[in-house]
Amino acid sequence: MRRPPQTIQILGSVLVALAIVAVAIAVVTAHFGPTSTAELEAREDVVKERVEQREERREAREEAREERLDP
Amino acid sequence: MEQLIDELTRGNVTEVKVVLATVILALAVYQLLLAAVAYGWLRLPFLESATASWTHRASGDAIVVLTVLVATACLAYYGFEDGGAHAVFGCILLGAIAVKVVVVRVGGRISVLLPLLGISVLTLFGLTWLTSAGDFLGVGG
Repeated sequence: MRRPPQTIQILGSVLVALAIVAVAIAVVTAHFGPTSTAELEAREDVVKERVEQREERREAREEAREERLDP
Repeated sequence: MEQLIDELTRGNVTEVKVVLATVILALAVYQLLLAAVAYGWLRLPFLESATASWTHRASGDAIVVLTVLVATACLAYYGFEDGGAHAVFGCILLGAIAVKVVVVRVGGRISVLLPLLGISVLTLFGLTWLTSAGDFLGVGG
């Protein structure tokens, strides 16, 4: 088998190195799951928003009940 | 320095360190393959030894830069005292890398030490990774 030109060999070997880097990053970050601060903060925001919405609905219900009791 | 590292990694210092350390280890293993081709121990039909040697040096330079970055972050953020085996392996690794760089630059008869130094550096990379990133990722128990 004839070897490809040297430029192609260099490009190929550098591309393999880049692919190794990409795979290593992908595997490790996949292993972490949602542990980054940004993702955790986003999750906390969603939870906080839900709690606030629930609180607002509860207050609205209480106000409606008070209005019914005090005509 | 500690605050700068914290800001650069957005509070994910350990995670960034683990990713970089894993990238370094993966490239170090690739280095072994390239060195084997460069020395003619492994013959590939699509890669000449001179080209393998060039890529070996290029990715070696990248590894040195990444290693210095990780070591700086590690020492500045976590310090040396609680490092245990990881800190010891890390220091020996930095020394071995420095010796290898000097041997490469000086050349001549001491170049015969390069394969031994290369394998030592790879082993130290493995041990340093296992005692920090490996622990964190749950590798090896």
